[in-house]
Amino acid sequence: MAMVDTGAVRLHVQRIGPRVGRPATATVVLVHGLLTDSLASYYFTVAPAFAAAGLDVVMYDLRGHGRSERPAEGYTLDDNIDDLEALLDRLAVTGPVHLVGNSYGGTIAFGFAARRPERAASVSLIESEPATAAWAVKLGGILDRVVTQLAHNEPDAIRWISAHRGHNTARLAKGAARLARDTTLGRDIPASRVLTDSQIALVRCPVLGVYGGDSDLAELAPRLESALPDCRTVVIPGHEHSVLVEASGTVGGHILQLVEEAGRPAVRVAAEAAG
Amino acid sequence: MTSPTPRTPAIPTLAPAASAPADEASVLADLTAMLARLLEDEYGLDDVEIGMGTTFNRDLELESIDLVTLAGLLQERYGDRVNFAEFLADMEFDEIIELTVGRLVEYVVTSLKATEAS
Repeated sequence: MAMVDTGAVRLHVQRIGPRVGRPATATVVLVHGLLTDSLASYYFTVAPAFAAAGLDVVMYDLRGHGRSERPAEGYTLDDNIDDLEALLDRLAVTGPVHLVGNSYGGTIAFGFAARRPERAASVSLIESEPATAAWAVKLGGILDRVVTQLAHNEPDAIRWISAHRGHNTARLAKGAARLARDTTLGRDIPASRVLTDSQIALVRCPVLGVYGGDSDLAELAPRLESALPDCRTVVIPGHEHSVLVEASGTVGGHILQLVEEAGRPAVRVAAEAAG
Repeated sequence: MTSPTPRTPAIPTLAPAASAPADEASVLADLTAMLARLLEDEYGLDDVEIGMGTTFNRDLELESIDLVTLAGLLQERYGDRVNFAEFLADMEFDEIIELTVGRLVEYVVTSLKATEAS
């Protein structure tokens, strides 16, 4: 297990690449979602196929999540973008990368591309959206329910979830309650600095939006396309918010296509630097 | 099976299948040692019974991030001959939830035999 100290926090990182002897064509960075998520959602789904396709695949656990350190504070979106930027610096990944983010991870990925456009070759948002004022309000509502109903009334809430949603979901919920109780995440994320429409439109790299057809977020697809200069979206019928895990072959295929079409700029930049 | 069962002394329990080939038994012993290490490191548990029928999810209460750690331990032990991530990537979510130690043992044995044959 590789731990990388960014200077602010110790993050758990997994990096896989093509088979020995085959140089990677580009780097793809996979960012997971909030509370119950970890890099495992990529490690056992799209990551092996990405590596087999010749990509250098970087996955990490967000602060507070998975095997990464859990500081009590520092959970705004900008903190998460700082962590991502520092992590890539520490890994000496300096060229443009293809960013992939699931749910809140996509909001981080997009925020990174908005802050450092020269370091973003493409962005794939899975069940995700850029940080807007409306996004912050929505996340605030969701986190408030986690904090008040779960973290402060845990035994009852867990009993209900176990009875109605099964043992596994109840265990995930316990983990989410612990994270909400131990950190300032619940109040930091809704208080995050968000992007204006014109800041969003400045993300000029290719952007892919992938949504589950039965998800509340599917209605974002046309809005994302009209907000960005180079954006396409895909809605996958019969899936909800967990479309990455449930339809990983389809989701991964769309991402690989985007990465290939985006022209592997990491290699071009490396060649230019070498020449 | 129920949740992890405390038990002394902590000796790895082999599957009751006496006809299992010897390499299956040694792979089970390997996996048992890896899981014991993981459960102790992450959860402070040092006396969990593990056999072929033990499920990762319900019996051992492992989270998906624990399976990433296990993948690293498998890599250390078997190198590139066994690819746990690819094994799970081919499974449906429900299959992963129901995954048993025995199914992983079978996969490891098959992978090792495949590389021996080639």
